Amino acid sequence: MFGSATTLERALILIVAAFLVFLPSIVRDPYHIHTATMIVYFSFMAASWNFVCGYVGQLSLGHSVFSGVAGYVTVLMFTQMGLSPWIGMLFGGFFAAVLSLAIGFPTFRLKGPYFTLTTIAFAEIMRIWFENTDNFIGIPLKGSEGLVVPLVGDSFWAFQFNEKLPYYYIALALLAIIVIATAIMERSKLGYYLKAIRGDRDGAEALGINPTKYSLIALSISAFFTGIGGAFFAQFFRYINPERNMGIDLSIDMAIMSIIGGQGTVLGPILGSFILHPIAEVARTSLGGSFLGLHLVIYGAVLALTVLYFPQGIIVPLRKLLARISGGDVK
Amino acid sequence: MDPTLALHVVKNGLLIGGIYGGVALGLSLIFGVMRIINFAHGSMLMVAMYLAWGLWAGLGLHPYIGAIITVPALFGLGYLVQACIISHLFRREKAFVVEPLSALLLTAGVFLVMDNLVLMIFGPDVRAVSIDLAYANFFLGDIPINIPRFIAFVSAIGVAGVLSWWLKTSDMGRAIRATAQNRDAATMVGINVPLVYNITFGLGTAILGLFGALLVPFFSVTPTLGLAFGIKSFVVVVLGGIGSIWGCVVGGIVLGLFEAFASQFVTATSAQIFSFGLFVVILLVRPSGLLGKA
Amino acid sequence: MTQPLLKVDRISKRFGGNQAVKETSFHVNKGEILGLIGPNGAGKTTAFNMIAGYLESDTGDVVFEGVSIKGRKPWDICKAGIGRTFQLSKPFGDLSVRENIMVGGFARSADRKRIASRADEVVDFLDMKDVAEMDALDLTAFDRRKLELGRALATEPKLLLMDEVVAGATPSEATEMVELVKKIRDTGVSILIVEHVMHVIMNLSDRVIVLDFGNLIADGNPHEVVNDPDVMKAYFGEKYVQQSA
Repeated sequence: MFGSATTLERALILIVAAFLVFLPSIVRDPYHIHTATMIVYFSFMAASWNFVCGYVGQLSLGHSVFSGVAGYVTVLMFTQMGLSPWIGMLFGGFFAAVLSLAIGFPTFRLKGPYFTLTTIAFAEIMRIWFENTDNFIGIPLKGSEGLVVPLVGDSFWAFQFNEKLPYYYIALALLAIIVIATAIMERSKLGYYLKAIRGDRDGAEALGINPTKYSLIALSISAFFTGIGGAFFAQFFRYINPERNMGIDLSIDMAIMSIIGGQGTVLGPILGSFILHPIAEVARTSLGGSFLGLHLVIYGAVLALTVLYFPQGIIVPLRKLLARISGGDVK
Repeated sequence: MDPTLALHVVKNGLLIGGIYGGVALGLSLIFGVMRIINFAHGSMLMVAMYLAWGLWAGLGLHPYIGAIITVPALFGLGYLVQACIISHLFRREKAFVVEPLSALLLTAGVFLVMDNLVLMIFGPDVRAVSIDLAYANFFLGDIPINIPRFIAFVSAIGVAGVLSWWLKTSDMGRAIRATAQNRDAATMVGINVPLVYNITFGLGTAILGLFGALLVPFFSVTPTLGLAFGIKSFVVVVLGGIGSIWGCVVGGIVLGLFEAFASQFVTATSAQIFSFGLFVVILLVRPSGLLGKA
Repeated sequence: MTQPLLKVDRISKRFGGNQAVKETSFHVNKGEILGLIGPNGAGKTTAFNMIAGYLESDTGDVVFEGVSIKGRKPWDICKAGIGRTFQLSKPFGDLSVRENIMVGGFARSADRKRIASRADEVVDFLDMKDVAEMDALDLTAFDRRKLELGRALATEPKLLLMDEVVAGATPSEATEMVELVKKIRDTGVSILIVEHVMHVIMNLSDRVIVLDFGNLIADGNPHEVVNDPDVMKAYFGEKYVQQSA
């Protein structure tokens, strides 16, 4: 699963995983569980983004649209049709995947910044549309006000829990799924193909690879997971609105956590969110909220430093360091 | 649409379009010479607007006089961002060409820092300059024309004219054009390419210093204003053809007219959907822009 | 004579006002190495791109094993059995040399085991065992070229299009490459090769064709072709031919 990992690395990964599983028995304070859930949620979102963007080397800043659309589908299916969010989120994810094909098909022909700007444009079109639409063919979208998930009390079926703990474990399970999915993808034909397209598109075509086809396969999987994450977010807060669930801020968070941690690697995006989200949390709370935006100043600075000094992400020097400690040689 | 209304719409579209073109000039110049898309472009306009507002609120300076300070200040800001931050990227790549995505990401970092520093300092409130001129009109036939908007429009055309004249005739202008065409050859004939880059970047943002001062009389400013203007500038540059100065003005006017007409049929916020839609269509169908070669 | 493997029939390409290739026809026989030469700007790479599906010919047809492949996409043409290399070889980063070669293998099979063992064969064939586990981006320029060849071979082509394989190579590397190309032909792969270095072409090719300003001006065995007055004229200009005549 982690082919080129040293023994020390594997041990460390196991320790972190075990720590995450047993964390709630050490920390019981709901506030801390909430924070831990958010860290895991952002890890999951960054990893979903990385599934396509990190491997195929294109920077999407429109991924939040998949989160938002799937979140809306889940909430609306629950409120309008009484469908369990567990099933609704699968529909939502599927819907996001279909939408991603519609957006990705024309867009993946574009390169570099052109691709990035087009993804922003698509996402902004959707967000503005949602914010300005109260009712769409009878579906109450409620514009920028957003939708509230009605409280039904502790119910697994309704994806509602009185405690924070179940949400934490659900997020952790989702994270485990995306990590395993990414690890499998990396070693499969799709993983090889995406790296080939990233390395040299023309060269990849000469080896029988249709770049658009394989980029779209990865994008639709990535959009599906991003959608599941959006549905989770809506259930966790029992609220969804266009700005938070499909705004560009979320897209930027997903992208920079991956990039800072190390895109195109299984664990890099998770490392990124483990570093960045706690910074955001500390900036928000310990300074009493008097410095609105401080955490984003730090994100921006860390991003700039990473691009300049660790262009492949922090995971690369970290792995070298671990390899040196354990005396192994680095690939 | 009745003719009087249509004329009003055309007037509004032309005025705001010219301003879009003026704001986008710097982005186009920087991209044309350095092949970098400055993600923080709109944020720098926002900073210029705050500066102009601060000079008015703090010192009572009329924004048009404040421009004497905002233009060199923004030149300095752009020069420093390029010389202290972006130039490291060029150094790392050991050439004067960088991978475009790294530059985009780096300037996205600058964007995050800038927007949120301003948010920390000034808070999320809307700031506006109120001067009498804001509501002054003159009449062209029956059509009232708002004076500060007209001044901004004329300035956009003027800046485009001066910029293209300066690029053609001055020594530095020639050096910039030479670098844009072939940086290796420029280095070989003794052009100081890093300096050209710093000055290009400074110039590109100095134009924003001017437009910051020209915009505040009729445009209130918030810390998040930058991104919207940045994206619009990308749209304008893509419409007009990247690196083309007059293309930029034309692209701005096209976008302005398009938005003005669209907002006749839907709300102003929804009209933005159409600008983004136009952008996507242009990129997919004709990525070299309206005036660019196919 | 049996039907040629590849038949290029009156292909043309115009870029704006520039006619890069004009009504050019030639063919590649099974098992031969065909050299394609011509001065700079003669349209060699354009012709290549039209065969490999990167450009579509304005006129005529490209027929491979009796089937028209004109207008097909590069990946389909690869699957039809035509491999190619580029003037500039860019290995896929974040993959080892062996994994780079495996990328090519997926075009023929989904069986990872089979692809991996096939990649090992190719590594042996190229004599790249020492560097097989290295990150491909760390290779020397010549090894990059060999790797690109290996990737193309992993797609199991019947015809290999090679663009400037010895450009920038040292003499001993060029010799190694010539041997390698012959070895590839001996495995039953036909080869169409574009090359600037004359003695490489003379050494390798069973037959040579010459393109000049989009026109095919000669076709024959290497020694005949280089002594052809039209070819001399194309390479050295009118004057040179008159003087030496």
